[in-house]
Amino acid sequence: MHETKEKHDFEPKIVAFVCTWCTYAGADLAGTSRMQYPANVRVLKFPCTGRIDPVFILRAFQRGADGVLVSGCHPGDCHYMAGNLHARRRFAAFRGLLDFVGVDLARLQFSWVSAAEGGKWVEVVTELTERIRVMGPMDEFKALETEECWSGVLATPELQEAYNNI
Amino acid sequence: MNSTAQKLETATPIDTSCYADVTEAIGKEAVRILSDGTVTAVVGYKAGRRAGTAMPAIVTDPAKATELIFSPACVNNLALYLTKAKKDVVKKGRVAIVAKGCDMRALAGLMGESQIKREDVFIIGVVCAGVKGSGAGNGEPLTTGNIARKCRECTVHTPEGAGLIAGTLPSPPQLTPVEAEEMARLGAMTPAERWAFWKEHFSRCVRCMACRQVCPFCYCEQCLCDKNRPQAVESTPRPAGNMAWHIVRAMHLAGRCAGCAECERVCPMDIPLNLLNRKMAMEMKELYAFEAGLAPQEKGPLTEYKDNDDQSFIK
Repeated sequence: MHETKEKHDFEPKIVAFVCTWCTYAGADLAGTSRMQYPANVRVLKFPCTGRIDPVFILRAFQRGADGVLVSGCHPGDCHYMAGNLHARRRFAAFRGLLDFVGVDLARLQFSWVSAAEGGKWVEVVTELTERIRVMGPMDEFKALETEECWSGVLATPELQEAYNNI
Repeated sequence: MNSTAQKLETATPIDTSCYADVTEAIGKEAVRILSDGTVTAVVGYKAGRRAGTAMPAIVTDPAKATELIFSPACVNNLALYLTKAKKDVVKKGRVAIVAKGCDMRALAGLMGESQIKREDVFIIGVVCAGVKGSGAGNGEPLTTGNIARKCRECTVHTPEGAGLIAGTLPSPPQLTPVEAEEMARLGAMTPAERWAFWKEHFSRCVRCMACRQVCPFCYCEQCLCDKNRPQAVESTPRPAGNMAWHIVRAMHLAGRCAGCAECERVCPMDIPLNLLNRKMAMEMKELYAFEAGLAPQEKGPLTEYKDNDDQSFIK
């Protein structure tokens, strides 16, 4: 019965922040319809995309996620009227900031998946997983986590001059 | 770092003749509004103990109002003292505040966020040719070499919408926009280079939180970054927490920051924090045509939405 699973050297960890009303139900539909999609994704359920703070995304990256997916209701379908529309602006701004700090935006995916779009959920998750598998592990934030000490340079010319003047 | 970059240019003195007129006008106005009871206190600057310095001062006695000054050393953004984070500093009642153009943008922002009421504040707007940047000596006059980076690109030398505008401005000299050039340089880098740039800067951060203390918009009574159950941002000065703190700070100020660059001025480790604020301001302008201005705006760009907002990045 089971298809033989392809073996990969790298299995990315992907964290999906989803809204309970649309995307969670969509993912549920994918499950009950027995659609197959990569098991790399860890789904976290939120009341609304408007509840998803950019800090959560940062935290996910810091704690070892290789990719993050944020998904919610299509515009106009929000259970709370406009939560996803506020989120849309916030994440547009957050993407700009992450890009400025030097994070590869290909690791961060946003999508609208409705409760009826089990197929789209499978498509989004598969595409993101394959993309990140090619990109390899996300090392930037993890490297910061393991760095223990303050790495400021103490040998600047200004400090040297101040030292000489003592 | 900031100061060395500017000193490469040959420094020429900037005309600061207007500051004396401004000082006189502030004094006169302060005496008038304090003695006729228009306000109970004036938040302004007075001369510091060492010559050529200035410090924030709150004057409640008309007899002492003439102590108030305005000089190129008046760097602080006094709007900070009207926020709830500093609610013990100024006692109740209507207060007057001495505000440069950049400070007035912060006041407008605070009014837009319902933190202060326009009718509770008497704004003494001052014309400003610029203030000194980091590294300028106390005795030095203001020159094109030691002027603050934000002042090099100032668009609000003469503020509008104040209760009073003190002084008249001589035409300001044309200065090279050091910060805009730095933004362009960063923009042209690859993401990996930018990451290295910020990693180096943030790794120096000692998490003194001076940037938070001095920011007029960081008035939350409980900061997300101080919470530890659950902890959102690590509070010790380690690289991971530093990176998170500066990203969160920039994100929370997006669409609110007035660009007074106080965060950058107070940073003891010379982290170019205003670059992050400028980036967010650029995003807000590009995406939602929002700019921090002198008029209070009821909604910020991240507290409202439009049906046709850009969603090209969403699948």
